[in-house]
Amino acid sequence: MENADVFGSSTAPLTWHDFLERMRQPSATDFVKAIKSFIVSFSNNAPDPERDSAAVQEFLTNMETAFRAHSLWSGCSEEELESAGEGLEKYVMTKLFTRVFASLPDDVKIDDQLHEKMALIQQFIQPENLDIKPTFQNETSWLLAQKELQKINMYKAPRDKLVCILSCCKVINNLLFNASIASNENPPGADEFLPVLIYVTIKANPPQLHSNLLYIQRYRRQSRLVAEAAYFFTNMLSSESFILNIDANALSMDESEFEQNMESARTLLSGLSMDSDDMPSHSDQNVGKVSRTEPKEPKKQALNPKRPQGPAMRPQFSPELFEAESGNDQEPYAKDQSFLTKVPSISDLENRGATMLLKEDQASQVFQDFPYLFSKAGDLTVKDVEDLLNNYKQLVSKYVCLSQGLGVPTPLTLSISQSQSQHHTETMKESDDTRAVEVNIETHKDIERIDNDSNDISMFGVENPESKLPQDEAVASQGEGNDEAVASQGEGNAEISQR
Amino acid sequence: MGCSSSLPDRTSGRLGGLNSENGGAPDAKNLRVKLVLLGDSGVGKSCIVLRFVRGQFDPTSKVTVGASFLSQTIALQDSTTVKFEIWDTAGQERYAALAPLYYRGAAVAVVVYDITSPDSFTKAQYWVKELQKHGSPDIVMALVGNKADLQEKREVPVQDGIDYAEKNGMFFIETSAKTADNINQLFEEIAKRLPRPSPS
Repeated sequence: MENADVFGSSTAPLTWHDFLERMRQPSATDFVKAIKSFIVSFSNNAPDPERDSAAVQEFLTNMETAFRAHSLWSGCSEEELESAGEGLEKYVMTKLFTRVFASLPDDVKIDDQLHEKMALIQQFIQPENLDIKPTFQNETSWLLAQKELQKINMYKAPRDKLVCILSCCKVINNLLFNASIASNENPPGADEFLPVLIYVTIKANPPQLHSNLLYIQRYRRQSRLVAEAAYFFTNMLSSESFILNIDANALSMDESEFEQNMESARTLLSGLSMDSDDMPSHSDQNVGKVSRTEPKEPKKQALNPKRPQGPAMRPQFSPELFEAESGNDQEPYAKDQSFLTKVPSISDLENRGATMLLKEDQASQVFQDFPYLFSKAGDLTVKDVEDLLNNYKQLVSKYVCLSQGLGVPTPLTLSISQSQSQHHTETMKESDDTRAVEVNIETHKDIERIDNDSNDISMFGVENPESKLPQDEAVASQGEGNDEAVASQGEGNAEISQR
Repeated sequence: MGCSSSLPDRTSGRLGGLNSENGGAPDAKNLRVKLVLLGDSGVGKSCIVLRFVRGQFDPTSKVTVGASFLSQTIALQDSTTVKFEIWDTAGQERYAALAPLYYRGAAVAVVVYDITSPDSFTKAQYWVKELQKHGSPDIVMALVGNKADLQEKREVPVQDGIDYAEKNGMFFIETSAKTADNINQLFEEIAKRLPRPSPS
């Protein structure tokens, strides 16, 4: 039925290979020439989004009209023609990406502003601040939606970026819908959906969000950005606009409370980042943090063993840590920096959290929510295993997501399972687990999308498809995704030169 | 499953394909129409749409995911069809400033209030003014008093709705998403009022 077809025409089977194959036919010579000269024409001009966007839209339209009339597609169905159009859009935009994406300083500035604002607000925002009713709150599962949105920078083609947004929205819709059934509420509409999307966006904080949205708006072919895709894209634009304008009032906070929250978020973030000034900068995010984290490894290992000992944990935190935290007001950075800034990591956050807990003397209360924390092996029954395993999976999933979100590599061990499993199997488990959940809620069912790595491959590089396969097996093994994942390997050498 | 897999859906699915084929260009026989829903949160905007799209709401059905975007096609007596693409908006005060992003380009705006809530009626009037200022000039507007099944709790007299709608050149109707009263009539009336592309 039409309403279940969430992405409408935007998910017409992407037969990327088919497009390239047709372009290699002798009769496609003129098309190839036209495409190449169009792409080359861009290198002669300074970026001008309005003109560039109009040029791309016009070119795509004209070419698709020409496809329709050409013998290569004679007797083809609408769907095949649609795929050809998708293929063309993807090819052209992948080639033009570096020229037209985030090409204006003004856009880059808004990217940074937005990223910084979300980094601050995500520290203190609560679902209630956005009118998300308790029955619809589900922060753990929202992580799945965040993950979808965070994939947006893995792709170059406007369609693929758009699909990340649509997948994120779909996960949210599924979760809201299930919650409405569980609580006998009316089915969720925009009153429920938009606030969660905003919340998820803030928590996901994907770099260069503004540029991504502009890019989709400008370079996704207009006739394909319609109906449901247009609706959810509009919701994303509207989330961005809301976030850029967030003030005390928008979150139903007192002016002073809001300012105070922003201030402590700033303090926290500057404590976590060596160079707080360019903290939100996107380009260095991954490279920078990973290398900064390396020297941390020994320390983290040293901290690990004394982590999760339940009630016994209290005395194990060194007084020095405690002081560094409580002395925050008088000497905000000095101690913090010596201890933390050099190597932002999960364990730093963890230590902060621990000292906060100690300070507020809430530790025991908080831990009461975790029934097995004080259990001994002998207390457990076979029945508990499933429960424990579920808890464990959730924990690992959250932990790994947090690590990823911080841009630090997942630590070698999660100490609760130290004795039994190694890092590698753990991450595998995690991905299997989350994937299972995703498949459950049908995230991937009808998203035929190229595999994550494909856009990282240099367009001109020579990649041997086979050599990458084992690594991508996990992704490729998702049923329908299979062909697409394999097909996308060809993207690396997707030159449409003719044989 | 309710009515969600019934025939109209199937035909409209094909219709969607036809329209995307010619880039959504207007076609005198098969209209595709963007309809935006405005109104306070809790007035039942999404329930109205669900009623319209699915007839009976069956809570065990998992087919429809949320009601923030739905589309539904209706056939009129003159053998034209109208496919409504229905855009729901968040009604909470803090999101009011975002509405223009949604009603931009809409051919129809349905402004909903709750007949048991004078506040929601005031809010509806705000949306009407807003649309008159910033909506497209030929937008078709409907004023809808929902929850008409709650007569004993009524606080907004029918006449107030009628008067306000008349003054502002809107179509007015009271509906009940709960009993399905007047739901189809609402959309049929809107369809009749749509400007037709002149056959060329």
